[in-house]
Amino acid sequence: MTDTITPPAAPAAEPASRRDRIRRPYRAGHASRGWVVGRTALLVVGAVVTLFPFYAMVVLSFKPTGPVTFPDSLLPWPFSPEAYDQVIGAKSVLRWMWNTVVYSVVSVVGVLLFASMAGYAFAKKRFPGKETMFWSFLAMLMVPYHVTMIPTFIIISELNGVDTYWGMIVPTLANAQAVFLMRQFIASLPDSLFEAARLDGCSEWRVYVSIVLPLIKPILATLGVFVFLWHWNDFLWPLIVGQSLDMRTLTTGIASLQQENVALNMLLAGSVVAFVPIFMAYLIGQRHFQEGVSTTGIKG
Amino acid sequence: MVALPGSRGRRVRRPSAREAGTALLFVLPFLLLFAVFRFGPAIAGVVLGFTDYTIGGETGFVGLENFRRLVDDPTFWSALRVTAVFTVLSVPLSMLASLGMAMLTRRAFRGAKLFRSIFFLPVVTSLVLAGVVFTWVFAEGGPWSRAMGAIGLPAGSWLADSVLVIPALVLVSVWSRFGYGMLILLARMQDIPAELEEAALTDGASAWQRFRYVTLPQLRPALFFVAIIETTVSFQVFDMIYVMTGGGPVRSSYSLVYLLYDQGFKYFDLGYASAVGVALFVMTIIVALIQRLTLGREE
Repeated sequence: MTDTITPPAAPAAEPASRRDRIRRPYRAGHASRGWVVGRTALLVVGAVVTLFPFYAMVVLSFKPTGPVTFPDSLLPWPFSPEAYDQVIGAKSVLRWMWNTVVYSVVSVVGVLLFASMAGYAFAKKRFPGKETMFWSFLAMLMVPYHVTMIPTFIIISELNGVDTYWGMIVPTLANAQAVFLMRQFIASLPDSLFEAARLDGCSEWRVYVSIVLPLIKPILATLGVFVFLWHWNDFLWPLIVGQSLDMRTLTTGIASLQQENVALNMLLAGSVVAFVPIFMAYLIGQRHFQEGVSTTGIKG
Repeated sequence: MVALPGSRGRRVRRPSAREAGTALLFVLPFLLLFAVFRFGPAIAGVVLGFTDYTIGGETGFVGLENFRRLVDDPTFWSALRVTAVFTVLSVPLSMLASLGMAMLTRRAFRGAKLFRSIFFLPVVTSLVLAGVVFTWVFAEGGPWSRAMGAIGLPAGSWLADSVLVIPALVLVSVWSRFGYGMLILLARMQDIPAELEEAALTDGASAWQRFRYVTLPQLRPALFFVAIIETTVSFQVFDMIYVMTGGGPVRSSYSLVYLLYDQGFKYFDLGYASAVGVALFVMTIIVALIQRLTLGREE
């Protein structure tokens, strides 16, 4: 049976004789055996070091409450989901999860909507003050977030927005980096696509909804994934603007549990609960995460 | 000089009022948000540094008072030192790890993608969660202290040691950031023309020589970019310190942003906190200029 199977893409060239193979110089892209072994060893060590904290997080979260000493604690047994019962039952983790979902999802929708509208106008339209506005956006990217955070907090607290969803979300919609990426992407689309629709008598809003939005799906996906990530993991802003127990996000909530000296297994169970959604998003949208960084340099 | 793409290759004509009007409507929502929550606050953030603003109190201009206080405040100098030492250690180490892993996963071999995905996973992980786990990793009798003890290095809790706490935090930072730089460098590596390396090979260059004289010079702009991003990130270190050490022991891991947070949101001395913000801003600009003059000089 086996001898009937031939590799489909067998090279037509004659196999190189032994002497040829030895003589042939090492070519870029063709790896020597020693290099492959060394590379694999280094990569495996790197991967183990990288993954170890995740392993520890999961394994230790399934320990019964009580002292477990290293290294025995790294074994998967004794196994007990009691920390999950406690952290989900007695603590506000589900409420924090909901807050985090609202904060992240509403922000993604808002950022994508406003940034794509503005990006479209900056890329394809002419209006007075365009360049001034654009350069002021650029200049503001230089200012560290922490400088603007204090006045933003003052504004939000004057408007009674502390401990509200809108107070948390609205300031994050002013994302200039998103407008840049949108403008850059839309500028690369040929004008003719929009002109045709316009000649057919479509309103500008119509052109935006039925022509621009479908064409910019790739950048919407990339940017959406990152805006979600930034908000899901955001810490300092939710920490200052969502102070009450009920308005914490997963990150600020878990940090507060830690300051209450909650048992390690509960702390880690909470961490796993907070990590699973972003991990799933990463598994599904991995391509967007990685290509987003490679093609736009967007900050992870 | 600045050719905005919309105006390229068209007849030069003034936009009609109607065209400009609809365009402005598209920009308006973002413009308002930006004016209120970025542009305004950026200016206000600097101005506040010259006031004694506190929530619910009287506010007045105090000139350079906050900055004078800053200069006299040993906590500020110690926070500055902590931030600087942390940055000086974590940026090069993280870039070295990025470069190494990018070189190792550069070729399309089986499993290359899996390794890249694994190395990027910490980048998408919250530093709060990482901080919780690493607190355990660095605890006395935990994996790190056992491993260090085994090779004859200090075996107590590094997080409780006023000197070793910074290296411990640096390690967490490298773990969490190197995957980002790796992807940036990999993207650049794919663009290096294969002929360059082939030519070097024909000339008998060794693997090290090819890396040193072909790959590395080509990566210069990408390395510059990563250096800027990582420096900015390091200057603003806060989340993991908040979780892992609370700035301790005795302020030995108390960073600038931690000082800003405490002053602004614990003591509600927002004027002084803004002055710390201005100092951070100035530092960021200075370092960006230095990096531009050294690393990025050939651009």
